Amino acid sequence: MPDHKDVRAILVRAARAEARRDGSRTIEAEHVLLAVAALEDSAAARLLADAGLTEDAIRAALDREWEQSLAVAGIAVRMGLLPEATPDGDRDPQIGESTKLLLRRGMDASPKGARFGSMRILFGLLDSERGRVARALQTAGVDRIALRAKAAEALAAGTR
Amino acid sequence: MTDLVDPEDPAAGLAAVVALRRLADRLEDSQVERAMRAGWSWSEVAEVLGVTRQAVHKKHARRLVAAGVALRRR
Repeated sequence: MPDHKDVRAILVRAARAEARRDGSRTIEAEHVLLAVAALEDSAAARLLADAGLTEDAIRAALDREWEQSLAVAGIAVRMGLLPEATPDGDRDPQIGESTKLLLRRGMDASPKGARFGSMRILFGLLDSERGRVARALQTAGVDRIALRAKAAEALAAGTR
Repeated sequence: MTDLVDPEDPAAGLAAVVALRRLADRLEDSQVERAMRAGWSWSEVAEVLGVTRQAVHKKHARRLVAAGVALRRR
């Protein structure tokens, strides 16, 4: 298992790649979630997978959240039918507001002062009822509160 | 699966704003690319979008060059 510094570097790189692929100018919480799900050999990724949240399932849930939110504005779009744009491979997306929030929430999780690993990041991701991540989990029928409790349990047991 | 569509719910309404921005960004990226592949000039694209030629160039040129689109000079 890679040590916590490697995990952080892997996460940042993967989340940035997700943002690029998404055509986003910022790294948002949903990109971090996909990066956590893609981690190999990680308790956080296993926790997600056990809840049915594989990378593919998360992508599908995010698309569905997008479609449903557009439907609120009276717009019917099927994501698969949207014209594709070539992503900007050179773009360097910066940390977005939702990512700053999730990092702060992860930092506030107990035990305080412990090192920052993927489980703490996952807790931060799950610790909000607002935003695209919470809404996507809701469309997927995932019990976010129960999942957050499991992440908190793992943190308390010493998982980073 | 749960339905998120409740027009009376501010959370849904605000999420729609975010979703529309994402949609506009995606459409801009794909349609500017399509126009430039079809031989439009930056000035023509800029005029339709209602922005300056410099703005559209700054936003899209690097991406389209990397994507192998042959760009006209003007």
